[in-house]
Amino acid sequence: MSDFLWHKISEKEREEIKKQAKKIMDSFSKKLLSLGELKENFIERDKSEREEGENEKVGIDRKIMFENAPHKNKDFIIAEKKKW
Amino acid sequence: MVKDLNKIKKENKKINAILQFNENFEKEYKESLKSNGKLKGKVIAVKANINVKGFNSNCASKVLENYKSPYDASVIKKIKDEGGVILGIANMDEFACGGSGETSAFGACQNPSAKGFIPGGSSSGSAASVAADFCDIALGSDTGGSIRNPASHCGVVGVKPTYSSVSRYGLIDLSMSLDQIGPLAKNVSDAALLLSVIQEKDEKDSISQNSKKINLKKIQEIPKNLKIGILDFEIQDKKIQELINEKIRKAAEKYNWKVQKIKINHIDLAIETYYPLVYVEFFSGTRRFDGRRYGKKIEDVAGSEVLRRIFGGSEITKAEYQGRYYNLALKTKKIIEEEFEKAFKKVDCIISPTVPRLPHKIGKKISVEEMYSYDALTIPSNLAGNCALSLPVGKINKIPVGMQIICDKFKDEKLLQIACSIEKL
Repeated sequence: MSDFLWHKISEKEREEIKKQAKKIMDSFSKKLLSLGELKENFIERDKSEREEGENEKVGIDRKIMFENAPHKNKDFIIAEKKKW
Repeated sequence: MVKDLNKIKKENKKINAILQFNENFEKEYKESLKSNGKLKGKVIAVKANINVKGFNSNCASKVLENYKSPYDASVIKKIKDEGGVILGIANMDEFACGGSGETSAFGACQNPSAKGFIPGGSSSGSAASVAADFCDIALGSDTGGSIRNPASHCGVVGVKPTYSSVSRYGLIDLSMSLDQIGPLAKNVSDAALLLSVIQEKDEKDSISQNSKKINLKKIQEIPKNLKIGILDFEIQDKKIQELINEKIRKAAEKYNWKVQKIKINHIDLAIETYYPLVYVEFFSGTRRFDGRRYGKKIEDVAGSEVLRRIFGGSEITKAEYQGRYYNLALKTKKIIEEEFEKAFKKVDCIISPTVPRLPHKIGKKISVEEMYSYDALTIPSNLAGNCALSLPVGKINKIPVGMQIICDKFKDEKLLQIACSIEKL
């Protein structure tokens, strides 16, 4: 039992949330297994290709986009090396 | 309708429904009155997970605290083109993870219609700003009930349109196979008006489909020879069901509609089907919040419900599970969808309470499972892709109660017509 008000999460709480999430998924899936063998399903669309139409300008403001990036240099975003 | 921004700002300090106001509101409102658009003079609040250019669409999270939207979502472009005025960005549960309005990193949203109680969520600020008379209409998003649930608790109308009928381009997603943008309003007519503007195929949303245009005059007509199905689902709070049944009885008597009970097999597994799908899709979708292009890394600053879904999604997508949980949920989703298809061969609409219980007090301790159970009756329509709405039908202990009406896919016009008829009672 806990309240759902937003608060900063401690390391201890983080570990508890991990365990809890796994427990919830296990219990939910166990219930779904009670349905027995289920058939595979596929969605078949009559038409699966996009209509490109005329090239509409994507209205993304590059200035704002770069303002959002924490590390940048003129017209490119800088990301740390070897951590991807 | 209060149009004095300073008055709204003052009132908002008590409710916390709006996170950021449009500082050009008054000027834009005057311009709107001169427009010939369908939304002339309509004031609209926008949930914080929908991009509005130049605004802080932060999903009520510290992750995007300083993020400024560099573009308009397709629905926003349509609203602006039709003369609608944006009031501001509405509070919500963090990244739409929650059904109470409490998980916002910028403070819980209050319920203007039931003080001290949760407004519901995740479109908490959207519902509260309509209920508080800050705006005429609001935009929300509904993945498992996030429009209908707060609409029910706040005593307003909330519509989840048919899946794929409204573009999600510019929506910061929770679960792409279930998400749908939709309107909240004081009455069915206003909700229908906004839906008629935003409902259209959009090549920028790959699953988007064309649907029949909503005829706003037709929705005012009382449908004849209607067959209503009352959902056969036992809820603990009998008073809520009694209120719904009484409203249906009155409508059936006045309009000569037929009523029967209808069972949807496996609907009791909706919550267990929904959450594995949401956990996995949310985990996948949030990989872009790595703090490189914008904001902060999500795992570093998000609240408990967001982390629960990320950790849960991360766990069950591990190689050792071989997609078992996700596939199982997908198969069950299909079964529930087929059950609805069978039901709609027998009846025109299915009616149930929107939420099976009354809201709790803000800050009350409850279990995760108990919190998830709020959406037991709204989730099935997301799994099936149907259109559904919540209509206020009365109060219990001074707390608003909503009736959920569900129609088959792409029967949005009929759904609004039925709701309009019941609203007139």
